[in-house]
Amino acid sequence: MKMFRKHVGSISRISTQLQRGPPTVGSIAGLSTEAEAAPKQERVDEKITEFRTAITNPGGHSPLQIAKFYTIPAEEKKRIFGGGGLPKQYELQIKTFTEACLMVRSPALELLQYIKQADLSKPVVRYVLYGENGVGKSLTMAHVLHYGALHDFLLVHVPWAPNWMKRPKETANATGQEGFIDLPFDAAAWLVHFKTQNAQLLQKLQLKTSKDYVWSKRESTPTGSLLTELVEHGIARIKYASETIAAVISELKQLSTAGQCKVMVAIDGFNAFFHPETRIFSDNKQRVTPDRITLTQPFLNITNYDWTNGVCILSVDKIAMTEGYMESYMPRYLLGKDGFEHLDPFVPVHVDNYTDKEFTNYISYYVDRFWITKTAPDLEDQLKFMSNKNPYTLMQLVRGL
Amino acid sequence: MALRVLGLNLIKNNINLLQNACRINATSTTQAPYCNQVTVHAAPAAVQKQKVSKAMKAYLERARENDEFMKTQDLDFQIGKRHLANMMGADPETFTQQDIDDAISYLFPSGLFDKRARPAMKSPDEVFPARKAAEFDETGRPFHSMFYTGKPNFFQLLHDIVEETNKLYDLEERMLRRGNKPDENQKIEMAGFQMLPKDQLEVKLVETIADIEYSNFVSSMERLIASPFSYKSKNFIERYLKPLIDQSKQLEVPKPKIDEQGRQYITTYECLRKTARADVTVRMPGTGKININGKDISYFDVEQCREQLLFPLQFSGLLGKVDVEANVAGGGSSGQSGAIRWGIAMSLRSFVDQEMIESMRLAGLLTRDYRRRERKKFGQEGARRKYTWKKR
Repeated sequence: MKMFRKHVGSISRISTQLQRGPPTVGSIAGLSTEAEAAPKQERVDEKITEFRTAITNPGGHSPLQIAKFYTIPAEEKKRIFGGGGLPKQYELQIKTFTEACLMVRSPALELLQYIKQADLSKPVVRYVLYGENGVGKSLTMAHVLHYGALHDFLLVHVPWAPNWMKRPKETANATGQEGFIDLPFDAAAWLVHFKTQNAQLLQKLQLKTSKDYVWSKRESTPTGSLLTELVEHGIARIKYASETIAAVISELKQLSTAGQCKVMVAIDGFNAFFHPETRIFSDNKQRVTPDRITLTQPFLNITNYDWTNGVCILSVDKIAMTEGYMESYMPRYLLGKDGFEHLDPFVPVHVDNYTDKEFTNYISYYVDRFWITKTAPDLEDQLKFMSNKNPYTLMQLVRGL
Repeated sequence: MALRVLGLNLIKNNINLLQNACRINATSTTQAPYCNQVTVHAAPAAVQKQKVSKAMKAYLERARENDEFMKTQDLDFQIGKRHLANMMGADPETFTQQDIDDAISYLFPSGLFDKRARPAMKSPDEVFPARKAAEFDETGRPFHSMFYTGKPNFFQLLHDIVEETNKLYDLEERMLRRGNKPDENQKIEMAGFQMLPKDQLEVKLVETIADIEYSNFVSSMERLIASPFSYKSKNFIERYLKPLIDQSKQLEVPKPKIDEQGRQYITTYECLRKTARADVTVRMPGTGKININGKDISYFDVEQCREQLLFPLQFSGLLGKVDVEANVAGGGSSGQSGAIRWGIAMSLRSFVDQEMIESMRLAGLLTRDYRRRERKKFGQEGARRKYTWKKR
């Protein structure tokens, strides 16, 4: 970066100016709701439509909005992505720019169109996002997730599945099943994530459990208790968190098949469930395979096609694998034979690098946020050349020190 | 015969002959106009009768010995040559020096790095350096008027330069009076030429000269060349100029060829950097596509390597206007990117104007980077780094 800076001599960061940044989140949100906005505000709208769109609901996005930014309202962002879901670097950028902006890109629109047109009474369709490193698979998923959250889908969202295989908080032998490994803290964290994402909807739907769950001699969740109670119990009794997840997910499958709710499953780095090995060691100092982790089963269960009233958005990622398994980004390679057969048939959605228009808009967004200044006339061309229009590489090129 | 292969150090036997020989290369002295022949000029008969000086006597003795020595050497060389020709099954009469060299390198293959250290068989004229001829007659009277300067040939040269310069000044004055102007077309072009370097001048003069003397020579030559009518004494000047072949060759920019789509293209082969080898094709007009071994710029993961490719394109202002295709093999990523960078820069010369080529040259884009990995030394941790010093 230092060298690049020397060449271009133009990129500078002005973080202090961000306080008085252009149109605030609130004003954009207001515009979308108020149809009879004042003419003065409309002019502002016109100005921002160059690379921004005022439509904050992903349901309203159409090919007209391609390559434009929309802002996720702060409270919605906190609710949906509070427990993860946006890449760390992107989160950092959001914090710096004090607004959560996502670009409307064609893979996400394609996916949204599929979901809108899908017949939910049929068995669930699995959509698999795939593409090179850093092309925006996770952000595409985030876009769709935002749609799901606003359109009464119960979200079953795993922000980054490989975390469980690669860096679990704590491991323990499973009580119920012999030879299985429990990840109690990760499981509880996921339950919390599930709860924050779906709290409002669960409150509204008042979903009930269909059978008794006996955890121990004294603890049990009887039939007809609220799903929220089940989740709360899992969070409170971390020991049973993994089993709670299995219970919650099987309940969700039943409930949605019964038509009581819609479920959107979004698992980032899904291929981690089919990786030949994990970094977890069992009692006999052997590496455990992912299928010996109790968390794997419920998520493989819910990605099956034996239920209705839901959608599955999965992403396969090279970096979900470990060294030696990262030759290709194609789903067949990353999922392996078992994983591919598990998902087959699925709808592949390819995520690619920016188009020229998207790239130009991204640069103008950066300029708008005072993140870069265009002193060199061919700065954009240089960045295009250097980044190869890859979103992540572009972000890295213009990153702060 | 001076066949060094046999380890016959003939020079040793004649060490006294060579003691005051100048260390020079005999090849160039043969064309030199200065007196370095061993034969002594015939002295006038009147002088002959006079007493011969001791110095002259010693000199004559040495000259005779040298003559004999060279004669035997030459004979040996001729015999050796015939033997060699017979060995190689060639005709001895038409056996040239080139044939000798080929035969020697065939019969005595050598892996020595320095070419001068390898076995060779050359004419004694080349092997034994020429010596300055007698500079005085039998009575001890010097031939040359500048003998007592110690460096007669050098000062003669300076003298000649000044003479030429004065001649040109006179000419200029006359021409000015007549109202004639110097011909601009015939002006001496110094581009691609260089003043004869000091060591070569020394060989030419058969004298060693000091640095300050060499700079005197250069400044007086410059004064001569700066004169508007300097082309009148072109022959004299050219004797002391050396053409810069390599650079003028590099200045030739290849003409672009046309491919089947009607686009201009240039392929630069043998782009080298470290151990990487590449050939680069640049097509104009293009859209800025990059193709390195079938992949785009993501072939290079490292930012710095991508910058290497960016620099010539950005510098020449052709970023996004040309397509680049490269095949690269060997070396690491930085070597490969450096090789491609050089290839792009060299190819781009065909698509930019002369001014840009010059500024590209000044930016170091057209210069080959000859740096290589430095070897590790024993007793050291690496090429330069020493092991941690510990008292005991």
